[in-house]
Amino acid sequence: MKSLKQKRPQPPQPAREDMIVFAVGGFKFAIAAGAVKEIRGMEDLHAFTLGGISGQIAKLKYTLERGGTTYFVVDAARHFQLPASHASRVMVLRNAPTGVLVDSTDRIMEISSLHALPRAFTHEERGWYRGLAVVNGTVVPVVNHNAFLNRAELEILRSGLERVRGVVTV
Amino acid sequence: MIAEGDKSYVLFPLGGKRFALPAETVTELARPDSVQTFPHRTPLLTGVLVRRGRIVPVCDVAQVLVGPAAPPRKFYLIANCNLESRQELTAVPVTGECELASGALVPRTGQEPPYIRGLLMMGDEIVEIVALEKLIAVEEPV
Repeated sequence: MKSLKQKRPQPPQPAREDMIVFAVGGFKFAIAAGAVKEIRGMEDLHAFTLGGISGQIAKLKYTLERGGTTYFVVDAARHFQLPASHASRVMVLRNAPTGVLVDSTDRIMEISSLHALPRAFTHEERGWYRGLAVVNGTVVPVVNHNAFLNRAELEILRSGLERVRGVVTV
Repeated sequence: MIAEGDKSYVLFPLGGKRFALPAETVTELARPDSVQTFPHRTPLLTGVLVRRGRIVPVCDVAQVLVGPAAPPRKFYLIANCNLESRQELTAVPVTGECELASGALVPRTGQEPPYIRGLLMMGDEIVEIVALEKLIAVEEPV
């Protein structure tokens, strides 16, 4: 009888990638630089209040109008289920109508490999992170930028705004 | 001398009790190192260690096995754990030095929690053999 061959853990993916390091609630994170269109201050944010929807997506705090597009701005501290933090910057994402409130942005660094999140982690973090980077011995989680607002949440927001405004471009 | 049917186990202390892991799964006993943390929601994981370029999750099993009163952990027992048919290293904080022992596994009586694989009789002492992959999956520390 053939014995089942046990799968070995995948080695880190050797791909160089620029990352923006940012901080939320005392933790450092990294996001692919290519996923970020703009980093800006807190000006021009409008409190998000859309009957019923605000309660469904509690992490959604503001909207931002840029170039005819409505961006939905998510509080990263709420997203990562951290205590309230002192947000001061917004990362506006590319290819998605999403902004992310963070405490600060730090620097751009190049990572040479991305470690898979160990399988012992089984909860929401599996969606939050693409993997882990090790920078000078420090582990920095690399966020999955598509998870700040997923497709279903964006669809709820899109249809909610359409109801309120008629047609909206997102 | 190891009798026929006996297997080797690493006995590790958690406070006043000892538990066992099959010796073939244990890769090293490490000195305290800096555990690095990041936000997550998996209950027993306290963070990760970087060991020889690999990222090893730290699973504080004492919360389940002996409760919150366990004394400070002094070492990390690093063991292979079979998760979703993959072998992954996991670090288990322990409260003192470990011992290699051999004995025959006494099957579960059915009274033990599912993360106890069996028992080892070490003289007067009954040592529970831990199924690490089941222990990691425990949702609520007792």
